[in-house]
Amino acid sequence: MPLAIYISRRLAYMLVALFGVSLVTFVVTRVLPGNPAYLIVGAMADESTVAAVVERLGLDQSIYEQYVRYIRQLLSGDLGDSWRTSNPVSVDIGARWPATIELGSTALVLALAWSVPFGILSALRRRSLSDRLANAVSGLGVSIPEFWLGLILLLIFFGTLEWAPAPIGRTLGEVPAHTTGLYTIDAILARDWEAFKAAAAQLILPASTLALVVGAPLLRVTRGFMRETMASHHIRSARALGIPERSIVLRHALPNVLLPVSTMVAIMYGYLLGGTVLVEFVFAWPGIGKYAIDSIAASDSIPVLAAVLLSAITYLFVYLMMDVLHFVIDPRTRT
Amino acid sequence: MNAGGGMDGIDRGPGAGEIPLLTVEDLTVGFGGGEDGGMSIPLQGVSLRVPRATRMSLVGESGSGKSLTASAVLGLLPEGARVLRGSIRLEGEELIGADERRMRRLRGGRIAIMFQNPRASLNPVHTVGGQIAEVIRVHSGAGRRESRNRAVDLLDQMGIPDARRRASDYVHQYSGGMAQRAVLAMALSCRPDLLIADEPTTGLDATLQQQVLDLVIEQVKARGASLLLITHDIAIARQTCEQIAVMYAGRVMESGPTEEVTAAAANPYTAALLKAFVTVDRGRMYAIPGTVPTLSGPLAECPFADRCEMVGPECRERVPELRRIGGREVACVKA
Ligand SMILES: Nc1ncnc2c1ncn2[C@@H]1O[C@H](COP(=O)(O)OP(=O)(O)O)[C@@H](O)[C@H]1O
Ligand SMILES: [Mg+2]
Repeated sequence: MPLAIYISRRLAYMLVALFGVSLVTFVVTRVLPGNPAYLIVGAMADESTVAAVVERLGLDQSIYEQYVRYIRQLLSGDLGDSWRTSNPVSVDIGARWPATIELGSTALVLALAWSVPFGILSALRRRSLSDRLANAVSGLGVSIPEFWLGLILLLIFFGTLEWAPAPIGRTLGEVPAHTTGLYTIDAILARDWEAFKAAAAQLILPASTLALVVGAPLLRVTRGFMRETMASHHIRSARALGIPERSIVLRHALPNVLLPVSTMVAIMYGYLLGGTVLVEFVFAWPGIGKYAIDSIAASDSIPVLAAVLLSAITYLFVYLMMDVLHFVIDPRTRT
Repeated sequence: MNAGGGMDGIDRGPGAGEIPLLTVEDLTVGFGGGEDGGMSIPLQGVSLRVPRATRMSLVGESGSGKSLTASAVLGLLPEGARVLRGSIRLEGEELIGADERRMRRLRGGRIAIMFQNPRASLNPVHTVGGQIAEVIRVHSGAGRRESRNRAVDLLDQMGIPDARRRASDYVHQYSGGMAQRAVLAMALSCRPDLLIADEPTTGLDATLQQQVLDLVIEQVKARGASLLLITHDIAIARQTCEQIAVMYAGRVMESGPTEEVTAAAANPYTAALLKAFVTVDRGRMYAIPGTVPTLSGPLAECPFADRCEMVGPECRERVPELRRIGGREVACVKA
């Protein structure tokens, strides 16, 4: 069964990649200056207390021993504890990941909604108004750093126009009853339209920021593949045999474009679900990215390690899912 | 647009009074030539007549304008190209300036084309049978089931074994020869009056070339259709078509019955092509000295003058027109 072999090969590759990611992150967080033991016991503690904590955490061992110890702990299903929040990291992440998933998924939907149709349109009508517009907007999206874009949007829509609410997290209203952890979805499930409005209002600016950032490369890729496909031999042949232009675009060109574009979509989604540190920071969005950056600021390395690993796993997993999907729908791999 | 002057004498050949299936007169096509200047005129007054149920070859070195002539006939000139002058008529009906809806119905319906590189001519994401069925559906309005059955029948007629099963295959499962058979099936699916085959066997290996050519001729004959076979290989032209038209630098240099023309070329360019072919056949290379001129403006002299062994001062005075001499037409002042 080729698909099973294919998947197991990819999973093996994932393991190797994760090993690499964990090693690099571990080393980087451990060589940072500062003694984390003080975080736990406070800066005023006497030396014997600090020494006891150092020993308990294994900070006096070599970095190699520390790493082995960390991996052992991971394999037993324990992500460790956060010194900053004094919770198990798995509890912290469980509380924050829905925020990131909600933001990332909304951003992806928005990004797809504008970038793919726009990319196709501008490929079909070269040098037209929509092509120029697509160029300008996607140029903006790829060249402006995302936190900068977030600040500009805040300045316009919150600061000046006052259309958007203050950037202070996920909702200014009631938190809807917990079902999925995604506030907008939970509000819909509970038919609580006030809560939905409050959650959606908080979501719209950070999601739009990310949609612009992620949509820009998507647009360019879509446009590139569409141009290439429209110039291909089989499109020329279909046209020369009288196939109507609508079918040329929708039936003949589009499937050939969406296959490679969906790979790019998977890459983007994996990136979004791993927590977008800067945008979460700007909008005080309590997701994985903000958790990581708050932990870094507090020299709390265990949550940072966990967040990075989680990002990597998500990224690789989404990518794998898309590959499997391709394997199933692309006739060239299927047979 | 209509035929320019100086075309007298052309429509008084054998079968005069009968309107040819396809008439191309003084077809002149240019690229560019907007405000930025930079005009090139790759077709410089092409004149051709393809009678009903006749096989005619269009022969010439690469770059002489054969494919561009075919594109113009289908009304599918590449971007930036414009018909500057001339007329293209299908049984007396003018095609230049015809509206797009009518042209679309003609394409595949009355004039079909097949290109070289058959595997690239089919869409990789649709089944071969599905693509043929779509052409049938578009032109005949037949239902899905019926067009599908007709597609299978056509594949069967083209000698594809186990046609019903192979119709559900994708092009990557076809060999080059099989793909060209499928492309032929698709081109003939709506019983066109004229099949244009643009280098249909270039890129196939020698034994396959012969098989595909034989099949094309057999099928065209069986359907009472005409064939315009575009090739750079005068040997192929010789063995497949009763009429030949030799093109050079965007003009027809000589045309007439293949036997007559190849037995005693009236135009020195035809003679040079034949000489090149005969010497290649004997294992020695003979290349016509010099290169095909690039046509950045209207011609002022015979385009072959610089490479011609028989050139004289009169060749430089004007562009030689196609003149009827016996059963053929020749563009050479010396003929
Ligand atoms: N898309 C294009 N843009 C500019 N010039 C072109 C284009 N296509 C063809 N030409 C010009 O037309 C000439 C004839 O091309 P073509 O008809 O393809 O030659 P052939 O089929 O005889 O090899 C070329 O030499 C080139 O100068
Ligand atoms: Mg060509």
